[in-house]
Amino acid sequence: MSSHYATLTDSLSFDRRELLRAAGAGAALLGGRMVLGVPSAAGQQAPPEVTTNIDEFMKVPRGPHALPGPFPGRVVKVTDPEALVGDVVDGKAVREMVEEGIAKLTGRSLKKSFRLLFTPDDVIGLKVNPVGAPLISTRPEVVEAVIRWLVDNRVRRSNIVIWDRFEEMLPDAGFTPQRFPGVRIVGMQRMAEEGQSFRDASGQHISAGNFDPTAVYLARGVVGKGVRGYKDDEFYLNQHVFAGEESYFGRLVTQELTKIVNLAAYKNTGNGISMATKNVGYAAICNTGRLHQPLFFKVCTEVLAAPCIREKLVLNITDGLRGQYDGGPDKNEQFVYANNALYFATDPFALDMVCHRELVAVRKAKGVTVNEHPRFVEYLHYAEKLGLGVVAPERLRLIEVRA
Amino acid sequence: MTGLLLAAALAATPLSEPVAGWAFGAPARVFRGAELYGHIDGGAELYLELGFEEATVRELARDGATLEVELYRMSDPTAALGAYLARCGQETPADGLPDRHTAGHHQVLLWRERHLLVVNNPGGAPALRDAMVEVARELAGRLPPAPALDLFSALPAPGRIPGSERVVRGPVGLGAFITLGDGDVLRLGGTVTAVVARYGADAPQGAATLLLADYPDEAAARAAFAHLGSHLDPTIEVTRRAGDGLDFRDWAGKGGAARVAGRRLELRFDIPPR
Repeated sequence: MSSHYATLTDSLSFDRRELLRAAGAGAALLGGRMVLGVPSAAGQQAPPEVTTNIDEFMKVPRGPHALPGPFPGRVVKVTDPEALVGDVVDGKAVREMVEEGIAKLTGRSLKKSFRLLFTPDDVIGLKVNPVGAPLISTRPEVVEAVIRWLVDNRVRRSNIVIWDRFEEMLPDAGFTPQRFPGVRIVGMQRMAEEGQSFRDASGQHISAGNFDPTAVYLARGVVGKGVRGYKDDEFYLNQHVFAGEESYFGRLVTQELTKIVNLAAYKNTGNGISMATKNVGYAAICNTGRLHQPLFFKVCTEVLAAPCIREKLVLNITDGLRGQYDGGPDKNEQFVYANNALYFATDPFALDMVCHRELVAVRKAKGVTVNEHPRFVEYLHYAEKLGLGVVAPERLRLIEVRA
Repeated sequence: MTGLLLAAALAATPLSEPVAGWAFGAPARVFRGAELYGHIDGGAELYLELGFEEATVRELARDGATLEVELYRMSDPTAALGAYLARCGQETPADGLPDRHTAGHHQVLLWRERHLLVVNNPGGAPALRDAMVEVARELAGRLPPAPALDLFSALPAPGRIPGSERVVRGPVGLGAFITLGDGDVLRLGGTVTAVVARYGADAPQGAATLLLADYPDEAAARAAFAHLGSHLDPTIEVTRRAGDGLDFRDWAGKGGAARVAGRRLELRFDIPPR
């Protein structure tokens, strides 16, 4: 076996007991076990199961805005074929789509919708996805439409924060002070440039202070490269700030924001999707590189279960003006298509289930090989079992609107 | 600090000098081995499984326009072709590029020898499409010539769906087609190459996906077959088991069969229920 292969594993494996708990009888389909670092093979000792601190999250009583919010299982899709033509976004059309989508989701006017989800004093984080710009990232026009709605309802621009985990990517995706005057634009971490150290004078990562060591997502036994003495520790730490068993939530989400609007892009990652739940699940915390292989999608559910997220994430809008049906999560033009749709939900798991199904249908229509094994949506069923969302087909409700 | 942003590492590489008429923009970024997660995050697994060595990312600037070049050096030409095929989709070639490639308004992908070259047009400006091709042509010329590869000739031609051919060297690649079990259930180990293609209903044996894996010897092939048989996903129902083969149904009721003969393992799956 070549050395590069030694760290590979089936990244989508789930813990059998957990799945049986999570999905009830349906979980009989859902096999596999989590493995750490190496593929399971005959004669090898089974690696330890990964345990997390999800139980601690779930012990915290739920507040009035906890996921799945006031509309479990409800997803609104608004389509306007004129919203994106070629590379040009029609900002007015997008604004109308956003307004239509919010009103249809809540069944209320825009003003009443605002009051249902926010107060004028909220500090509101708009979580965008700048990866893959400009092909398949969150479009600034969508963000502008949301900001307009918030400001129309007396939210101060200084209380609106466009954010992502990586500071460097935001300007490339169009999120600049020039385009969004008065709005804060925050990347929770920076990486060092050539010839510079990522450590400050005290030896800490320059972004270490942006993370809250009192708010932790724990995955026992799963560590970044920095802990076990790999020679390229420094690379991992530069990118992930910390490397141990704990991933700290950003102070932005634990201490500053009172509400979050999740503005994901619409794209695949392998046989699954990288949309609403992944947009927050892998961005609200640091030290995520270690999590991809043993836990992958499960992180999307469990990070959203943390009180600092589940009590604040009140609205999800997936930007499907463009879709990418293969080759994701990075941009891949060959698989990008005009979808001209925006999707709305208070329940991010319902939203992802709808979009997953839709993208599978697109993949089939485009002639792409599709592996529809149930494991690729297990994390969504797991979320339902935790009471964070509604994904069972008979309880999902998709409302389609054509502009 | 290793890996990221090591310009010194670029000495005497295809990206050590800018393309004629262009200047380098931001500092180079170099990703080695598992550092690739730092560049393409969730997309890195497939590259690593196929055999990844190093990626170099550079910006090229000219008259206020910017292109981004990604050069992936893989362990061998088969690995590079595998990475290319996973990304190229239905190819749309441009005039004047000799190597296997596809070109759009935002991206050019090109396979040459053990390299995958990607030229991105981050702003999406239509006027830069020709420039992307021009840059790709010059950079491709700095790479060794592509060898003749006869990877897919073992896959029967009748009924084979054009463009469906893929290279698989482990669970990530296999997982794009089917979930047979956890981990490296076919024991490809990142070194044994399997080729895969899909077949339409007009194929002599009907619609299916066919995978052929040639192991170093018969013993290895039989060991892989035995491992498969004893590590099947719980959703796989075995309908017939014999010494050299087994038939199965997957979670969706689609049929499949695995056979071992000599040093070859043949796997046929995605067979529609009758």
